[in-house]
Amino acid sequence: MKEYELFIGPQHPGVTGNMMYHLWVDGDIVTKAECNVGYLHRGFEKLMESRGWMQNVPLVCRICVPEPDVNEMAYAMAVEQLMDWEVPDRASYIRVIVLELARIAAYLMSIGSYAGSLGIYTLPQWTLGDRDYILDIFEQLTGARVYHIYIWPGGVRWDMPEGLPDLIEKTLSYIEKRLKLYDDVFFRNRVFFDRAAGIGKIPKNRAIEWGVTGPNLRACGYGYDVRKLEPYAAYGDMDFEVVKYPELGDFEVISDGCDAYTRIVVRRLEIDQSISMVRQALKKMPEGEHILKHPNWLKWKAPAGYAFSRVESSKGEYGYFVVSDGSSKPVRIHVRGPSYTHGINVAETILKGANIADVSQILFSLDVCPPDIER
Amino acid sequence: MGLFDGDIMKYEDWNKISRIASRKSLWMVHFCTGCGAIELPPVMTSRYDMERFGMGPMATPRQADVLLITGYLTVKTLKRVVNVYEQMQSPKYVISFGSCPINGGMYWDSYNTVKRLDRYLPVDVYVGGCMPRPEGVMNAFLELMKLIDEGKARGWEKYQKYYEQYKRNQKMAFNFEREKDEGA
Amino acid sequence: MKALELIGKGEEMHGRAYIKSDKEEASSIIKKLKENGFDHFVMLSCVDWIDNNEFELVYHLWSYEHKEHVMVSIILPRDNPSMSSMHELFPQIETYEREIHEMYGVDFEGNNRLTPFMLEGWHDMPPMRKDFDSKKFAEDVFDSIPEIKEEEDEGI
Repeated sequence: MKEYELFIGPQHPGVTGNMMYHLWVDGDIVTKAECNVGYLHRGFEKLMESRGWMQNVPLVCRICVPEPDVNEMAYAMAVEQLMDWEVPDRASYIRVIVLELARIAAYLMSIGSYAGSLGIYTLPQWTLGDRDYILDIFEQLTGARVYHIYIWPGGVRWDMPEGLPDLIEKTLSYIEKRLKLYDDVFFRNRVFFDRAAGIGKIPKNRAIEWGVTGPNLRACGYGYDVRKLEPYAAYGDMDFEVVKYPELGDFEVISDGCDAYTRIVVRRLEIDQSISMVRQALKKMPEGEHILKHPNWLKWKAPAGYAFSRVESSKGEYGYFVVSDGSSKPVRIHVRGPSYTHGINVAETILKGANIADVSQILFSLDVCPPDIER
Repeated sequence: MGLFDGDIMKYEDWNKISRIASRKSLWMVHFCTGCGAIELPPVMTSRYDMERFGMGPMATPRQADVLLITGYLTVKTLKRVVNVYEQMQSPKYVISFGSCPINGGMYWDSYNTVKRLDRYLPVDVYVGGCMPRPEGVMNAFLELMKLIDEGKARGWEKYQKYYEQYKRNQKMAFNFEREKDEGA
Repeated sequence: MKALELIGKGEEMHGRAYIKSDKEEASSIIKKLKENGFDHFVMLSCVDWIDNNEFELVYHLWSYEHKEHVMVSIILPRDNPSMSSMHELFPQIETYEREIHEMYGVDFEGNNRLTPFMLEGWHDMPPMRKDFDSKKFAEDVFDSIPEIKEEEDEGI
């Protein structure tokens, strides 16, 4: 049979944003895949070198659009390492609340768009509508819906307004109620079982070597989570169990793991986990300062050295490598986005042998987000 | 005396009718060119629901009327955007989204983003802000409908009339080498 | 720290091991680390130290077993920098090498995929080098593009 070439993207609803896959296809089966990125390359790392430490905060959050707060957190942590700052306790708890709410919002979006790729259009309508209620919380807390610029080196920008804990609790119980509906419509749906089980398998013994992280790694049966391995913010005080295959709670284990089905179910279970963590943080949050006393924002200099910080996002592990030579501008900031490995090497390898109809759901189940590949 | 007075309808009258019809069913190309695309799903789905204006996403440019430039445009994307825009059928409209296509926004000194979109494509409506809120996006759609109704959304005619100028500018942005040779 | 014991040199930096190495030794160090539990390759970064006229390549590895992070650093000269590729140890290094090749102009021997990655039709100096002035480039290229000149009459 003759091979033919297929270009998916950048203008295509089946790829996860502005990126392109070049597929070689034999009949319905993909024989080779090549990823083409760079459509969103803004040269962040170059721009950050010409701006001061504080001026970089608004740039940093634009690296991951669905979940910007992890970037602010990772950058703030790296700068705090260089400056040798201790963040006030209250700020750490507020950070946990913000990060977990952002994680719920990002998971709702990724599950919704995954369901859309299977043709179940009810779920995106619901999840994206419900995600908006979380954005409303952010609006009250930070003043912005998408890019918050709230987590700063040294703490958070301002304290939590009065009455916000009640709104958060109200929203969380609403989302819990809605999650039951999602389960009926999608997670116990025959279409989902039949389409997703056994599709897009990452070989378990090579997952770590390939740089798979986050929910995708936990779906392979490794219980690794940066929040547990290297607790940052107030995650050390939180009580949670890492979700991993084959402990899928109420959900059926219908495959050997590592596939699209398990990846999505792990994400669904982590929404429950995040909800419980926000509640714990609200309960345990101490009184006190929310930010450190700073030197002049525009003039301060970071001591020379190398700092590295890692944060768990909804897509995987974020790493910030920050180099300073003791001046008021960084020498180099390098961002490790989780999609860098998932979207390029892992996707290129596991798309081989997949059916064309499954290409889109494999990409959505990996939750590839091009802005953090290209920066 | 009416529209159908005589055998053939007058061109101006026909134009009016077609404008009324097209403004009520605007379909937009499903192309996420930048980070503004994150505010489109809320606009499309249940909370803001743009379908009540007769708008919906469309996967192929050939059946779409509106091209949304959602945020910053890199040079590499501009090539694809021009391809998409030229595949669309007239009448077609462009909405620019966010501050970056207006003057470069926070990427004013970046080496890879084009700064002013109106030098490469005719823009009908601008939405300011980073990010523009969904209400802002909805307002832009209503504004576009109003402009269409009044016959003022003429970007595509402008593109045809000044095609050579637009092409020259696009080529200047694509081809860095030519710039370099001239400078040397 | 485990990594420092294994290799027998290096220092601790903000709770992470930092090992200075050289071009020849690096791949054997990374191989040894990989065999001893440092099985997660985090990333490969490049730093441009223009005052010393050198590039610094930093290989980041993480061990889930020892819960430890290690950075292996290599200094390369700024003129004709080259390094041997390590994509056989960890397949995703290939992508990092592609990016660094494009952004800094470092050559990786043995990597067959050093094709254009993010930039298209780029003819200038690799943009992440410190002597490339992004602001000047943006002014030269994008500000020189003229506005569309419209004729007086509005009756298009």
